[in-house]
Amino acid sequence: MFEHIVDIPTVIGRHHVPEEAQFVADQFKAAGFPEADIHVVPYHTGSATTGDDDTAALIVRWRAAGTPKAKPMLLMGHMDVVEAKPEDWSATDPFKMVEKDGYYYGRGTIDMKDGIVAITRAMIDLKAAGFKPKRDIVVLFTGDEETNGIGAKKGASEWLDLLGHPEFGLNADGGGGSINPDRSPAGFTMQTAEKTFAGYTLTVRNRGGHSSKPRKDNAIYSLAHAIDKIEAYRFQPQLNETTRAYFSGREKLEKGPLGDAMRRWLANPNDGEAADFIEASESEVGLTRTRCVPTRLFAGHADNALPQLATAMINCRIFPGVDPNAVKAELERVVADPEVKVTRNDDYVASLASPLRPDVTAAYTKAVHALHPNQPVFPEMSTGASDARPFRVAGIPVYGTNGGWTVTPIDNRAHGKDERLPVESLYDNVVHWEMMLRDLAG
Amino acid sequence: MKRALALAVAALLSSPAIAATDPRTVPTQLPPAWQAKTRELFKQAIEIPSVHHRGQTQKVAELLAGQFRAAGIPEADIHMMPYEALPGDNTTALIVRWRSPHPTKKPMLVLGHMDVVEAKREDWKYDPFVFREEGGYFYGRGASDMKNGDVATTMAAVKLMSQGFKPSRDIIFFYSGDEETNGRGATLGSTQWRNLTDAEFGLNADGGGASYDRNFRPLGFGISMAEKTFQTYFFTTHNPGGHSSRPRPENAIYELADALKALQAHRFTPMQNDITRGYFEERSRQEGNSPLGQAIRRWLANPNDGQAADEIEANPLEVGLTRTRCVATMLKGGHADNALPQSATATVNCRIFPGVQPKDVQAELQALAGPKVEVTPDPSYIGVPTPASPPRPDVINAVKAAALRFHGKDMHVFPVMSTGASDGSFFRAQGIPVYDVDGSWGISPDDERAHGLDERIPVRAMYDDVLHWEMIFKALAG
Repeated sequence: MFEHIVDIPTVIGRHHVPEEAQFVADQFKAAGFPEADIHVVPYHTGSATTGDDDTAALIVRWRAAGTPKAKPMLLMGHMDVVEAKPEDWSATDPFKMVEKDGYYYGRGTIDMKDGIVAITRAMIDLKAAGFKPKRDIVVLFTGDEETNGIGAKKGASEWLDLLGHPEFGLNADGGGGSINPDRSPAGFTMQTAEKTFAGYTLTVRNRGGHSSKPRKDNAIYSLAHAIDKIEAYRFQPQLNETTRAYFSGREKLEKGPLGDAMRRWLANPNDGEAADFIEASESEVGLTRTRCVPTRLFAGHADNALPQLATAMINCRIFPGVDPNAVKAELERVVADPEVKVTRNDDYVASLASPLRPDVTAAYTKAVHALHPNQPVFPEMSTGASDARPFRVAGIPVYGTNGGWTVTPIDNRAHGKDERLPVESLYDNVVHWEMMLRDLAG
Repeated sequence: MKRALALAVAALLSSPAIAATDPRTVPTQLPPAWQAKTRELFKQAIEIPSVHHRGQTQKVAELLAGQFRAAGIPEADIHMMPYEALPGDNTTALIVRWRSPHPTKKPMLVLGHMDVVEAKREDWKYDPFVFREEGGYFYGRGASDMKNGDVATTMAAVKLMSQGFKPSRDIIFFYSGDEETNGRGATLGSTQWRNLTDAEFGLNADGGGASYDRNFRPLGFGISMAEKTFQTYFFTTHNPGGHSSRPRPENAIYELADALKALQAHRFTPMQNDITRGYFEERSRQEGNSPLGQAIRRWLANPNDGQAADEIEANPLEVGLTRTRCVATMLKGGHADNALPQSATATVNCRIFPGVQPKDVQAELQALAGPKVEVTPDPSYIGVPTPASPPRPDVINAVKAAALRFHGKDMHVFPVMSTGASDGSFFRAQGIPVYDVDGSWGISPDDERAHGLDERIPVRAMYDDVLHWEMIFKALAG
């Protein structure tokens, strides 16, 4: 199942998400889930920066046997993946899964077709084993999480009836564990908050002209200077309850200078130097503050003409509670060039944290410890944005509780080249979700 | 493309303006009936968006061929030459032979191109592919580069034929379909199609021309006889990429931005050759004692005076004439808004001083860009340095006579090195000397909009250019 869906290039604009949705729906049907409770819901996604696509969501409702003991529980994931170009990858085709050296290689192996397979497999196996849920278990796999998140928005609004107005959600696109290259535990996290995803565009316009007569004013050079300033800039460090709990857990694992910095920062949140040290660590990037990074460039219209337009996409992950409009103003101050216009690409609002639920925390911790007895578990603020945001804003708490794991930092390749998943992790994850479902719906 | 209005140009800051006549308000000498025909042909040509990959250039070729056919050129002497320019870009060259009944001299080639640089509706004030006349100008993509030259050369021939003029040598018209991109047409024209194009020399309508400053003082008529070598390079950075929520210090876009800043600050070594010395001698006479004039004289007296050369190069009117220049023209980087870029590429367009090898420029760019950036030449076009064409008195005298008629005795005619490269370079490389002698003109620098926004040409410059070419044909093939 994993190989089949990794090989489907569910990138925006390639129109393949409906095919994957149908394939996964067919797996549920074949396992005996009633057709009336399996819905492939087509919808349209698109924006000026991502392009358009006809995509689809998959909704599967596994109804409780008899009278439900509680409101439904939502299981979340997304079927789409980020673009991957064969020429950028080292040896393998991103859309032709390969097993090599104990890893599965392919786009989506960790973000997050592993979660799609783990949830689907766990439900099918539980049904085959005769498990009868005491509450409805409702699956929502969206088709545009990596781009516009329209599926999640619809899920948290117009599809809520179909989803049975769930009490809370478990998101396979969050949580999970890490081990260090020496196999020592680096912790499992349960995602309870996430930074706000916001895109900005830097735009420089110029009258252009013939490239044989260069001028001092040049849209590309102005943009290069603006990018340089963004590279050098650091936002103010911040702590909240989730990150405080996270760093309190992490510092116990870190004996060296990184642990010292965490301890100093927890003791004194104004110790910016300690925060900078933590932020510079590859495993902690993005957890101490808002971060912005340029991700795309476009400029010019012909190789022999001076550019009339140069743009850079700046992707920001904003600390929860900070208004994306304030970040825009801050970027304008950093760039400090009236030639460079800063605009927002979206209208996302600041995301919220979910309050900790003892039942979810206990189930997650139990499942993790069953397979990884040495791994500590702590809450986490995710630096990535996920489909959880509109549900949290709509009052449905969401917890990132995936059970997969990778070797940190060498396997941190989501969205990058040569994305890969340890083979063992995929199988562990199926068992993990089975345990979670037995605990929370049994 | 690679054409700059090869306008020689002058100091805006020297002596106070003597009340001079606005050349745009001087009535054209072209008879009204021919104005109407010229305007109609120009309109039709501009409104065909003959940008690469749009498959429209053939229509321009048919438009021009129709004019020659109607004027009496037999079908056997009109050749549509389809070819593939860039991969997937099917275009056409047009070759027309106007035969002499009793040739006494070897044929003469007239060069032009029918394609134009991309122009985007959203960048322009008006639709670039809708012909428009306003305030004494014709507007549209190709108005000055160079559908004006296509129309002027064609219309001049049609007009002469209607008057019964019989050339004393064959005049071969060669209009290419990819000058702005690859020059594949000119490559074929100067080699494989040589049986149709072989000539003693060529006159290129994609260059030359007169100019005035903003006070309407004549700045000169430059005949381009040499040109810089066109070479595009790519600056590329690579990175493993990753999720944009976890930025890393090494980043393909940041590394590229650093290289672009280094490129912006870099200056190549100043150089001179016979053509540019001739040009600067003329310019020093025009400039008199202005700071620019003084800098030119210092540099001519001592070619090692780099400071003087820098001062000249910094003047907007002399850009590109003192050395090799390279400039960033395009950027592309990243593959998704929420992913760290795995690669970023800048297109860097260079105009290389004649005699300098492109591989040496590549080495210099690589040194300034640093080891994190890969500098490679654009494989689709490898520039070949070309020799300067020897001055021909008959061509220079024909241009002088036309310049005197349309601009008066103060419009000096002198040699220039073009900073753009054109189809002429391919013919020069194959032993056919080429002279850029188009007769259009403009106000410098306001009308220098080739490849840029709101491209335009003074209405009178378009009309008088028909008469200019008529004089040139009569003088050189009469």
